[in-house]
Amino acid sequence: MLERNTNPTPKQFTLQPKIIIIILVAIVVVILGLSSFFVVDQTEKSVVLRFGQFNRIVGAGLQWKLPFGIERNYNVPTEVVQTMNFGFRTEQSGINTVYAKNDFPEESIMLTGDLNIIDIEWTIQYRINDPYAWLFNVQDRLKTIRDISQSVINQSVGDLAILAVMGPERTNIEVEAQQRMQEVYDHYGLGIRVVTIKLKNIIPPVGDVQDAFEDVNKSVQDMNRLINEGKQAYNKEIPKAQGEALQLIQIAEGYSAERINEAIGDVARFNAMREAYKVDPDVTTTRLYIETMEDILSSSSAGDVTIIDKNLENFLPIKSIGTQGVQVTTGGGTN
Amino acid sequence: MKKLITTLIIIVVLVIILFILGPFYILNEGEQAVITRFGAIVNTQTEAGLKVKVPFIDNVVKYSKKVLSWDGDSQRIPTKENQFIWVDTTARWKIIDPLKFYEAVNTIDQGYARLDDVVDSTVRTIIAENFLSEAVRNSNKINEMIITEQIKAENVEDTDQLKSLTQIKTQSDTITKGREKLSEEMFKLASGITIEEYGLELLDILIRQIRYSDDLTTSVYERMIKERNQIAEAYRSYGEGKKAEWLGKQENDKKTILSEAYATSEQIKGTADAEATKTYADSYSADPVFFEFWRTLESYKKVIAPLDKILSTEMEYFDYLYTKEGAAAK
Repeated sequence: MLERNTNPTPKQFTLQPKIIIIILVAIVVVILGLSSFFVVDQTEKSVVLRFGQFNRIVGAGLQWKLPFGIERNYNVPTEVVQTMNFGFRTEQSGINTVYAKNDFPEESIMLTGDLNIIDIEWTIQYRINDPYAWLFNVQDRLKTIRDISQSVINQSVGDLAILAVMGPERTNIEVEAQQRMQEVYDHYGLGIRVVTIKLKNIIPPVGDVQDAFEDVNKSVQDMNRLINEGKQAYNKEIPKAQGEALQLIQIAEGYSAERINEAIGDVARFNAMREAYKVDPDVTTTRLYIETMEDILSSSSAGDVTIIDKNLENFLPIKSIGTQGVQVTTGGGTN
Repeated sequence: MKKLITTLIIIVVLVIILFILGPFYILNEGEQAVITRFGAIVNTQTEAGLKVKVPFIDNVVKYSKKVLSWDGDSQRIPTKENQFIWVDTTARWKIIDPLKFYEAVNTIDQGYARLDDVVDSTVRTIIAENFLSEAVRNSNKINEMIITEQIKAENVEDTDQLKSLTQIKTQSDTITKGREKLSEEMFKLASGITIEEYGLELLDILIRQIRYSDDLTTSVYERMIKERNQIAEAYRSYGEGKKAEWLGKQENDKKTILSEAYATSEQIKGTADAEATKTYADSYSADPVFFEFWRTLESYKKVIAPLDKILSTEMEYFDYLYTKEGAAAK
């Protein structure tokens, strides 16, 4: 192309060969420049291959290499902690992280050691710590990480009872799985370091099974409610009964005091009377008799008294039954 | 000047042509190559770098030297006890003998196809020879752990009793091999074939996931539900029982408290009565005659006074109505 372009116009521009050289040199310089420098980000390390062979690893900044594809650079994000999710996917991270709506049961459903079924979601975080190994040791790196992570979690869960997985063994699974995954990744020379494994949701399969698990929680609430109901009934009656018991005893105490004091009083009076009686029994007897009769016949509270002569042969008493004489008169008046 | 440029350009073009067709080729890290000449293998290269070949005649076939993943479809396999499960396996492999691989397999895709055959049948064989729990579990750890429900009862006795009530005492089968061992067996069985025959090496075969077949899943769900129901019932029943106990205790305590109070109060009254009686007796027995007289009069006052009464004048009290001698006149 260049030759053909130059040939038809040699006489018009005498400086043309020079221009061509300048252009050529410029092109070469630009290519040289473009293919000799590359930028490595702070989060990255760059592996440089010379003729396809490993040459060196360089850090962040503007870096130099041999041009024309003699040396090639591969930038690897070694400082970034990368995340891989199982059983769920993050759609958009942020303050309110959005998770993909659909689940991935083919990842998260697994068997426990007691042959139950459980749904586990988890996350693995890792960092590339050997960029050379990361680039050239394993072909399907992400798939490998995914496969091994699944296999290890499956195995850990498969070794435990469902209740252990849901409860106390959670942290152990995380720790153990991290160790085992690291071992396997090292075995492949994947060049990554597992930062952490975090189990997220550990739930029984959605639907009736989950409802049954929920129902156990509810039943515990029910149980406590029933026990409290029992206690309520108890507490409603017993303190009251205790009070009533004290009342009975108090009443008895009162009776006791009254009885004894009455006795003491009665006896004191009797004794006093007897002292007086002893002085002259006859007179005192008569006096007491007459006083008593007086009382019986005339005291204000005395009832209706009718006295019949002892010499009267017959007496037909006419009495209103059940009513007082006064009432009869008033009652008759109203009639 | 013009000549110089022309020659320069020609040289550049020639060099480029030489490089394209030429004796050099670049083998990257992670690659290996088989060099064939007129179809026959003349050399293999496994180290990265700038390599030489005969232009036009030599043909370079590059293979990956990296660890490759193999991922089979889930297989529905019956276990030894004839339960159908889905087994999903994954394997890692790499080409260790490019020459052999070129001869026997030729392309990576073909390599996958061979692995499909070998690994699938291996997995099938091993799973079918073993019980389900051998494939699911890896150790007998499950039998050493006593797992109890997480209970928040109000006191220790309740908690203990509930724990014993809800503890599911199913002893899991003791396994002799476990999942890792099975993986190893699969690996041994398969790797025997692969290296010799295909020039590729398996690094491992791992069970990625085991699932029940669909109809089995349904019945397992049923079992899980029943197991939960049973525990839920235990809690509820325990609650009912406790409630009844409290109600009984209420009845018991109430009666006990009140009857004790009754007993005490009667005793107090009795003691008081006794003391009063004694007080009376001590005093009255000093003069029984006067006591009788006096007490009778007292009683009259109290009892007869308020009554309506018809009295005959025959009483001593009325004696003086008839004669001034009174009683002495009789």
